[in-house]
Amino acid sequence: MPCSICSTVRNITSLLVRHPAFLGALIGMLAALSQSLLISAGGPEAYGFCVACHTRDLVNGVFNILTGTSLALASISKNSVLPVMSVAGVLIGAYVSARLHREHAVKKGSFRDYLIYFLGGFLVLILAMIFGGCPYRAALRTGYGDLIALIFIVAMALGVIAGTAFMLRRAEREDA
Amino acid sequence: MATGVLPMETAIYAVPALTLLLGVLIGYLAQRSGFCSIGGFRDFFLFRHTRILSGYLALIAFSFLGYLLFWTLTPAAMEHFFWALTSGPLTPVPGAPAGLGLAASVMLAVIPGFLVGFICVLLGGCPIRQAVMTSEGNYKAAFFLLGMAVASPVFAAFVSGWVVLMVKSLGLGA
Repeated sequence: MPCSICSTVRNITSLLVRHPAFLGALIGMLAALSQSLLISAGGPEAYGFCVACHTRDLVNGVFNILTGTSLALASISKNSVLPVMSVAGVLIGAYVSARLHREHAVKKGSFRDYLIYFLGGFLVLILAMIFGGCPYRAALRTGYGDLIALIFIVAMALGVIAGTAFMLRRAEREDA
Repeated sequence: MATGVLPMETAIYAVPALTLLLGVLIGYLAQRSGFCSIGGFRDFFLFRHTRILSGYLALIAFSFLGYLLFWTLTPAAMEHFFWALTSGPLTPVPGAPAGLGLAASVMLAVIPGFLVGFICVLLGGCPIRQAVMTSEGNYKAAFFLLGMAVASPVFAAFVSGWVVLMVKSLGLGA
């Protein structure tokens, strides 16, 4: 049944769902909610969502369970029956969305591409762990009042400027 | 020791379940919106587009508001909020290699921050964007995630210790 209020609500919902700022605000609120519910299982604080740390916890946690090793991971994952599963969730959620909206398309690359991406991922995880979080946990830590994380974000923005300048120069050289 | 709403016995089961649920929701919306931290800064510097950057800025602002809200509701779960006031202005929240001095903490934020920004912008996205692209069928992004997965035990077993040794040999230990 068409009605103007329903369609307005639907328009607003679809705008919100597709706007990055809505997701950013949602992650911030959910990370705080998750800490408020789950912190009894263990720290650290401001750990509600992080792609690098949660990948580390998932991989090392499963590795520890299967092989009986004791690789380091956050205590929230060490104490729980299974480690944090957010990264598995992101993969599932994005897959469902891509399938539902017909945006799933296999894109292959060369062996060289795979090698570069593999090394990139390897380095990014190690660098993120040295700092203690990926860009997302850095944002949460900043919101929690950690100024070191704010320094990380500024440095990351500078790194992005340098990377963009590098790409532009390389593109110009290829044009010439 | 901070205590949350759920007691320890329940929380240890809720941790994987709830994080999986949050992950699915975040992954779904990230695929819809093209959410990316690195991409936001890149689009801003290249084209002055603010759409994607608004996501990351909203994340910072709303994580503060969210922690503030839940700090008032459940203060026991937010033991050290607001961190700079309760734990010292330049003490990092635990996560990185522990037992380092102030100069080391700053150094271990600036160098990784710069390099993460540089590498990720060349590879077209931050870790969450790589995960979303993997789910969209991008094999290159899948190798990025594989690299992260392989690096996890390597970091825990070797690199973490090396970093601490290196920093201490520079005289920057706590």
